[in-house]
Amino acid sequence: MRSRDGNRTSTLSIFKLILFFYSLTLSASEYLISYRYVVKDAILFNEKLDISKSMHKCLGNPLTPLILENDGNHNLIEIISQNEEEFSSYLHQLGLNVKHSEFNLNNQNSSTTVLTLKTTCFKVDFNDNFVRIAPLK
Amino acid sequence: MKYSLLLIAFLSATSVIADETPTSNIIINCENPEKGTACQEAQAKINPMNADMSAENEPKEDFLAKGSVARISVIGQGVAPMNTSSPAQAYALAKRAATADAYRLLAEKVKGVRIDGQDLVKNMMVQRSTVRTTVQAMVKNANVVETTFKEGLCEVEMEIVLAHSQFSN
Repeated sequence: MRSRDGNRTSTLSIFKLILFFYSLTLSASEYLISYRYVVKDAILFNEKLDISKSMHKCLGNPLTPLILENDGNHNLIEIISQNEEEFSSYLHQLGLNVKHSEFNLNNQNSSTTVLTLKTTCFKVDFNDNFVRIAPLK
Repeated sequence: MKYSLLLIAFLSATSVIADETPTSNIIINCENPEKGTACQEAQAKINPMNADMSAENEPKEDFLAKGSVARISVIGQGVAPMNTSSPAQAYALAKRAATADAYRLLAEKVKGVRIDGQDLVKNMMVQRSTVRTTVQAMVKNANVVETTFKEGLCEVEMEIVLAHSQFSN
């Protein structure tokens, strides 16, 4: 028959392993991102990018990722603001909803275009030199 | 008597058959390419019903044949606002507006536009004339080909590639 002390060490090591993997899952970040901009009469009227950390686990597989340069920073908002143009063109590639309405009153024209990325969950992996951002679908 | 009844039956049968057959039995063969259009016109004159039928039976040409791709290209325009703090900001804002315009043009080309018009006429005079156009679509995988910025106007050339396989499912 085994001693109680021997069983205790093995139980502890299993518990440590579970804790280690649990901590790994916690560090894998998931963010909810939405983007919307409004153009009125060919002039940019309003632009809004919402980034927030997901409060629950997202389901789905990651699609084509975007890799942004990073110098050890773990703040996604700061990283995106540093690479704004690149991230914006990446969002365009993902696909945006286009809603355009034009109104012509007595031969005077006015138009409004709204481009929207609906709230999408992104998986973000922070590394030392780069950040990998991939939407989940 | 017997023969006269048979004759009447035969005559009525032939009249029924004559009603069912087309008005003209003349057939012009239009296979010769040199006489092509003239031949078809002549055929249509002789039997307009047949001309309509042949138009209906012609195989419809696919816009996007199997294995081929269609490239749709548009140029969107955007203007920088008057109160910008730097030329760089003006460029960035104008580019955004031009991109949105290009997206709108792509959506219009691929999906179409809904148009509503209304004219109010009172005492034989147009009081109010309105035209409202709307587009709503989802555009994916559009590529920016070229961007130019000149005298406050930004132009973005954008293209989208449509493949037959995207619509086959």
